[in-house]
Amino acid sequence: MIRLLNAGFTRLRKNKVFWILSIFTIGFALLILSVKYGNMKRYGETVEVGQLLLNYPIIIGIVIAIFTSLFLGVEYSDGTLRNKISIGHKRINIYLSNLVLITITSLLFYIIFFIIIIMIGIPLFSVGTISVTQLLIKTLIAFITIIAYSSIFTFFASVISNKTIIAITTILISFLLMIFGIYCYSMLNTPKTIEQVTIENGETKVEKVPNPKYPNEQMMKVYQALLDVNPAGQMFQLGERSSKLEILPLYSFLNLLTFTGLGFVLFQKKELK
Amino acid sequence: METVLQTNNLEKKYKDFKALNGANIHIEKGAIYGLIGKNGAGKTTLIRIICGLQEPTNGDFSIYGVNNNDNNIANIRKRMGAIIESPSIYGEMSAKDNLIEQYKLVGMPSLDGIEELLELVGLENTGKKCVKNFSLGMKQRLGIAIALASNPDFLILDEPINGLDPQGIIEMRELILRLNKERRITILISSHYLDELSKIATHYGFLDKGSIIKEISSVELMERMEHKFTLKVNNLKDFVKYFEENKISYEVMDNRTIDVYGKYNLSKFIRDLSKKNLIVDEIHETEESLENYYMNLIGGIKND
Repeated sequence: MIRLLNAGFTRLRKNKVFWILSIFTIGFALLILSVKYGNMKRYGETVEVGQLLLNYPIIIGIVIAIFTSLFLGVEYSDGTLRNKISIGHKRINIYLSNLVLITITSLLFYIIFFIIIIMIGIPLFSVGTISVTQLLIKTLIAFITIIAYSSIFTFFASVISNKTIIAITTILISFLLMIFGIYCYSMLNTPKTIEQVTIENGETKVEKVPNPKYPNEQMMKVYQALLDVNPAGQMFQLGERSSKLEILPLYSFLNLLTFTGLGFVLFQKKELK
Repeated sequence: METVLQTNNLEKKYKDFKALNGANIHIEKGAIYGLIGKNGAGKTTLIRIICGLQEPTNGDFSIYGVNNNDNNIANIRKRMGAIIESPSIYGEMSAKDNLIEQYKLVGMPSLDGIEELLELVGLENTGKKCVKNFSLGMKQRLGIAIALASNPDFLILDEPINGLDPQGIIEMRELILRLNKERRITILISSHYLDELSKIATHYGFLDKGSIIKEISSVELMERMEHKFTLKVNNLKDFVKYFEENKISYEVMDNRTIDVYGKYNLSKFIRDLSKKNLIVDEIHETEESLENYYMNLIGGIKND
């Protein structure tokens, strides 16, 4: 296991995708800072660094999907997975070392973003009204969600044997998770009532009526659960001030256990060519 | 002599297709074992199973006496190096970086020896060039260097000369011979380039339709290949009985054809047979090659 990790990190240092995504992360952080700085100067907008720190997690799923598919995908396309097994590495150790490697790299992307925002953001903007404790809790939850994300994409990159299909699948899933998260989020924010305009005797009346699209209590719970279990949904909620976030790490652990457990079983049985 | 690899009635089924059908091979220490078979005979499937990439449907195998169902099999595989179909190399990295990666994977205490390995396979001057830009021959040689990183006792090479140019084939041949002679590495090499195999192998296993139909040493094979004649006869059973009694090496090819191996005076041989009322209808002396031997073997089995 240690040998696998040692070899994995050696390869990571020379990996172009890792460096490209690191530069992208730095670029993304600088872009957010410059846009927000422009808004502050032009429109007097109040910018809170604490809130900026929670911007990147929303798109980090896509970054992890790209990195995982390209970094682990070559293990099949270049035949290096065969090599690891034929020299006596156990499949469970290979899977686990891949998961650890993807998780640490994904966290590293977030840490890079975090450091840039803190270093440049604090001198430019206010820290914000969010308390340090609250920010630390949210960051910790974001870290745990990133671990869950990593386990999902490691699963797909391990059970699919074709690099292109791995890339298409993981990137598609990252987008689907985001779209589904947005859908659940919007359903949960559906207004209870809507305004209805009627004309009676030539007079226009505006009245509030119950929104027929407003989900019932049962459906609200379902949408909330779907949002909580979805890593992209968790990241959306981290940006919210009033969200109850304590439950999210539990869902992340559930994702981690489910995908890693299933991944172990399938990868162990997988017939390699 | 220590047995490096032994398979016992190894079977592998893919849905309704039997890729391996009770294959039994025995490889002794120090051998260069040529695994011969046409495409689809089961060579790569056999190698994949030995390397742990696939599980056998039935049967078992042992490497250095350790059974594949033993938990220690993964540890024993650390004594192995393998190239299966194509070399396992990261295309985006240089030859040296690929070797560093392999050194870390096998847990070598230092990076000493990488330059020597590159020199051994003739890649010492490739610098930072990405492996994806290497020729096929260079990739194959790098694959061997990677397989050698753990100082293996047993090397498995699946079709190592496929796609190589004549120069590449010669270099590969010389490298394999050097590894066997200088480092005493036992080598299992699968190929359908029979002429090339005949130049290096010390033992052969002929694989057809998933079964090993013959295992033979190169010494024995050479004897047979150099002195063989084919008889067409009517009373096959009597001939077989006579050959058995007189300890004459033979092989029944079909119900009328029998191959006889060894040095004999042909006229005296026929006279001796006639004395026993064994009449030969036709006789052909054959200039044998490994290819002919293989074709006859496959044909013989087919007509049994």
